[in-house]
Amino acid sequence: MATTNPHTLIAVAIFASWYLLHTAIKTGRQQLDLYDLAMLSMVAIIPAAFTFIPSLADRLARIFGVAFPFVAMFGMLFAILFIFVHRLTVKLHRLERDNRLLIQELSLLKHSLDRPDPQP
Amino acid sequence: LLDEIARQCPGDSTLVIDDGSSDGTYQVARGRSPTVRMLRNLGIGGAIQTGIKYAERNDFDFCVQIDGDGQHPPSEIAKLVQAYRDQPRSIIIGSRYLSDGGFNSTLPRRAGSAAIAGALGILFPQCQVSDPTSGMRLLDRAAIRLFSARYPHDYPEPISLAWALREGLSVGEVPVTMRARVHGQSSIIGWKPLAYMFRVLSYILLARFMRFYP
Repeated sequence: MATTNPHTLIAVAIFASWYLLHTAIKTGRQQLDLYDLAMLSMVAIIPAAFTFIPSLADRLARIFGVAFPFVAMFGMLFAILFIFVHRLTVKLHRLERDNRLLIQELSLLKHSLDRPDPQP
Repeated sequence: LLDEIARQCPGDSTLVIDDGSSDGTYQVARGRSPTVRMLRNLGIGGAIQTGIKYAERNDFDFCVQIDGDGQHPPSEIAKLVQAYRDQPRSIIIGSRYLSDGGFNSTLPRRAGSAAIAGALGILFPQCQVSDPTSGMRLLDRAAIRLFSARYPHDYPEPISLAWALREGLSVGEVPVTMRARVHGQSSIIGWKPLAYMFRVLSYILLARFMRFYP
């Protein structure tokens, strides 16, 4: 049965704890929302799960039918990443659209305040 | 240009959209005509839509958009208006390709325009136009209402045509004589024509087949 080196366990535990604490603090300060916290936490939680439960990689590899167990881990991380990027892209486009709308409305408002048109 | 418009279209309302220019356009234009200065540069789609919103809020029956680079002679505006009076349509395009004289653009641009016109004609058979990329257009109330609510921000003319056709608006065309650009240069240079074609054709396809888009 596969075991994990204690040094690796300690290193991963420190990284995961620091990272989770860091993202939790940012969420508390409202620099991230709860959804972002959940998604970003996976960057620490998934490797930690594979480190602390070494048999998990083999079990998932059998379930997904892949020869190299860590393909499963990287696949999960990439899936999380793509979901996150997709969400960011949607959010960015919405912000861009709102920004464009606000600039138009402000420009028209400024125009009407600066110079009340005799036209039409 | 504004003096020419004032001579050619006496009694009509003129609005200049200054999309964040840094060459003193605003100072010159505001002395002659109502001028909206965009607080940030939004690009052609955002600027045109601002003018359309102005037309909607001021209850205009129709509006004519022309470029500020001198390509569209104000003397041709009367042809658009006359075409609208003869046969009202929601959008009347001023086509440089139906006209015998004037500036006809470069061969690659004509080919690109023909490809877009062909795509529009196939996907929307009721629309048989020769110059879908023309920036000289007349819009009636229905088109003003539609484009005031949503308007493409990049390469807007052909994409907005597809959106209008999908909404059931009618499109017509009238020959106009255009001039070579007097000021500035086209934004579609370098590799951009390829991006332009890809983007425009994709949006036209989406407009035809995706009912929920945009």
